[in-house]
Amino acid sequence: MHIPDGYLSPSTCGVLYVGAATGWYAALKRLRQALLSRVIPLISVFAAFSFVVMMFNLPLPGGTTGHALGVTIAAIVLGPSGAILALSIAIAIQALFFGDGGITTLGANCFNMAIVASLVAYASYRLIAAGAALASRRRVIAAAIAGYLAINVAALFAAVEFGIQPMLFHDASGTPLYAPYPLSIAVPAMMIGHLTFAGLAEAVISAGLVAYLQVADPGLLRPTSGLPSDATAEPATVPALPRLWIAIAVLMLLTPLGILAAGTAWGEWSPAQLARAASSASTASSPASAVPVGLQRLAKFWTAPFPAYAPTFVHSRGFGYLLSAMFGVGILLTVSLAARSWAARHRRKESSA
Amino acid sequence: MPPLFELRDVCFDYDGIAALRGLSLEISRGERLALLGANGSGKSTLLRMLDGLGSPSHGSLSFDGQQLTAERLQRDDFALPFRRRVALVFQNPDAQLFNPTVFDELAFAPLQLAWSKEQILSRVEQTLEYMRLAALRDRPPYRLSGGEKKRVALASVLVLDPDVLLLDEPTATLDPRSQSQIIDLIQQWKGSAKTVISATHQLEIVEDIADRVLVLEEGKVAATGAPAEILANHELLLRANLVHAHRHSHNGVVHSHPHIHSHSEHEH
Amino acid sequence: MSRSFLESTAVGFGRAFTRAMLSETTAQRRGWLQSLDPRVRVVGLFALVLAVTLSRKLAAVAALLVVAFAMAVLSRVSVVTLAKRVWLIVLGFTGVIALPALFVTPGQPVAALGSVVITEQGLRTAALLILRVETAVTFTTLLVLCTPWSHVLKALRALWLPKEAIVMLAMTYRYVFLLVETANQMFESRRSRTVGILKPQDQRRMAARTAGVLLSKSVALSNDVYLAMQSRGFRGDVQVLSDWHLTLWDLAGLLGFVLAGSLAVWMGR
Repeated sequence: MHIPDGYLSPSTCGVLYVGAATGWYAALKRLRQALLSRVIPLISVFAAFSFVVMMFNLPLPGGTTGHALGVTIAAIVLGPSGAILALSIAIAIQALFFGDGGITTLGANCFNMAIVASLVAYASYRLIAAGAALASRRRVIAAAIAGYLAINVAALFAAVEFGIQPMLFHDASGTPLYAPYPLSIAVPAMMIGHLTFAGLAEAVISAGLVAYLQVADPGLLRPTSGLPSDATAEPATVPALPRLWIAIAVLMLLTPLGILAAGTAWGEWSPAQLARAASSASTASSPASAVPVGLQRLAKFWTAPFPAYAPTFVHSRGFGYLLSAMFGVGILLTVSLAARSWAARHRRKESSA
Repeated sequence: MPPLFELRDVCFDYDGIAALRGLSLEISRGERLALLGANGSGKSTLLRMLDGLGSPSHGSLSFDGQQLTAERLQRDDFALPFRRRVALVFQNPDAQLFNPTVFDELAFAPLQLAWSKEQILSRVEQTLEYMRLAALRDRPPYRLSGGEKKRVALASVLVLDPDVLLLDEPTATLDPRSQSQIIDLIQQWKGSAKTVISATHQLEIVEDIADRVLVLEEGKVAATGAPAEILANHELLLRANLVHAHRHSHNGVVHSHPHIHSHSEHEH
Repeated sequence: MSRSFLESTAVGFGRAFTRAMLSETTAQRRGWLQSLDPRVRVVGLFALVLAVTLSRKLAAVAALLVVAFAMAVLSRVSVVTLAKRVWLIVLGFTGVIALPALFVTPGQPVAALGSVVITEQGLRTAALLILRVETAVTFTTLLVLCTPWSHVLKALRALWLPKEAIVMLAMTYRYVFLLVETANQMFESRRSRTVGILKPQDQRRMAARTAGVLLSKSVALSNDVYLAMQSRGFRGDVQVLSDWHLTLWDLAGLLGFVLAGSLAVWMGR
């Protein structure tokens, strides 16, 4: 999932750098409330640890192998702020030292794999493991699901970042200047690899590590467990749950819109150009650009409600796919939030009964 | 002359386990002291307390007549001189070598203590020469051998010219040549103003590195005295788990005796 | 299968050390890049990577690749090494990714393989992608090969990175090698005690257990590092020592970088 230089346009890189910088700033601020000097070696060593985990070529159910990120266990042990920084550092070293991932795309890579992934991993873990005992099996399963979700959401972000490139950034003759595949190809291509291999690898290692820690070092699981402890109160690195979800939702919405807005600002494309490109793409004769019918219908569904006087690009296929992806995840988030508050109310009723 | 370190009834818990239970002792200026004890006896914990890395849950600890507390150490006017005067060399050199190169490692402490750049550069060069590490100045830590790591760790605190050296297992896991190098250094400080407190479980080096021995057993002082005296007390050593008893049989008769190595009897 | 998991992981570990060793030897050679202030190297090479991204024409990117090649030669970096370690590998990965673009990109057809059509736009976009990635990676690799890691980090201060970030990057790098070595040793000892082939679920368990032990050791190590930092006077505000002074030669070099980048971007607008 490490995106090299050359795949994303400068304005996309810029927007994602801003997004990443916001995440870094927020994480640093949270950690400064704790003792930064204590946290520096912890984050550094954890970054080194996740770097090493990324090297593991894990054998997966089914006979294949895959690489995990280690972002889930980082979120579970350090909390989201620590995980954001630890993973960002690991990614930066991979980019600089090994050339795995680019410099201009460092913001994008950190945004996807360090920030979005950490938030999704942490929020899912907390949601699914809520209230479970420290040594319970539910925590292990929660870690597995959280890992799977985190990797796939990060991959989805990367896929969307790739997929909107040809639509927005091409030269006069229609040659894509950066990543050459539209959403209809980029999303399935990225997602297939991660829904199967990488997602499973992360699930396997996250579950395995939580199971190990439950026996060998349960103290490491306590700070993010949400369980009342007789020791110190929850450290400042662990934010309140609803705020996290809102943060994710906002991120998911802002990113594509931000990219579109930045493209206009830089004059790299104008709505008129885009409309022309969209219409020419829809009349392309190349059979390989045929889009899965379901996705087509979904795209139309989302763009249809927009009023007729909306800019033409809104009605293009590309934009429709974008919205499908984003709104889909948004729906998921809303459903989970609703489920959680229902579950919480249900639990309160039971305990008071 | 008041003692340099004075501990009264100090207790310390580590992760729920009592590491020090009511420990009292005094250390004089210029002493060379050896802390003997098996693993888990509280040696490392004691050294860390002496370096101000952890407050006792009970009891008092004073350095040079002043109480050593966490609040005091928050203040630069106390912390800066203290950190320069008292230095700890950790048992695990990898924990102490966290900088990119040997040079950076030596420069770390003076940098944090706000020395001027010229002071830092000249002092680091001096120390590199003194410890014969000049050839390794640009080496990253993962390219150092075990003996080199220990020497760099020692150098990284010697650069401050501290008054008190706390050494946690200075020769453990080292090959014979590196061991003797370290021991030579410690012997050089005999009679100097430096106070050297070494924690070790290696009985064979005790006579070389110390004038007084303190035996720790389960977080308390079990005995104190001159090296020869302590090393001759086989019963004490056995109890403190510093020696093991060999059991063997001669012609059907089984006997056991404590087994230690001592430098006091050797042949030329 | 047990061999392949252990061995493939060991290969990854080996890469880390080889890259570090290569960097150490190359950084000591007397070449053009090595003669420049590290900050100029960092800023200059990052600027060129940015130029690669900003250029919109194939010719401009190709020109930058030529510049990269020239830099390598002037800095006594073996072109063969670059080819083996960078260019061929990137070609392999990016080539595979770019290949379908030949057929999938809509536009003017230029060739046909049976019913599948290759378009001119497809050719250009594939070429553009591959060239961009190659050039950018070459610049980054040159920076890291010709500069000791500690200098790269300190030079990042010139890019206004906060001190804490620098310290964390340095510490992480340093401990990567320790953890890699520890993990390798654990795998080695496991490998020597394994008879026959391990079932995949056992491999997974072993991987998780190794990672778990590594994790516990990491956290314990970080505790000790924190104490060691405190013991040597660290009170929360980290200090970094750097001893560099910009000379005319450095400024000229910086100018060169900026000119080359701007020219490429202007050419390719």
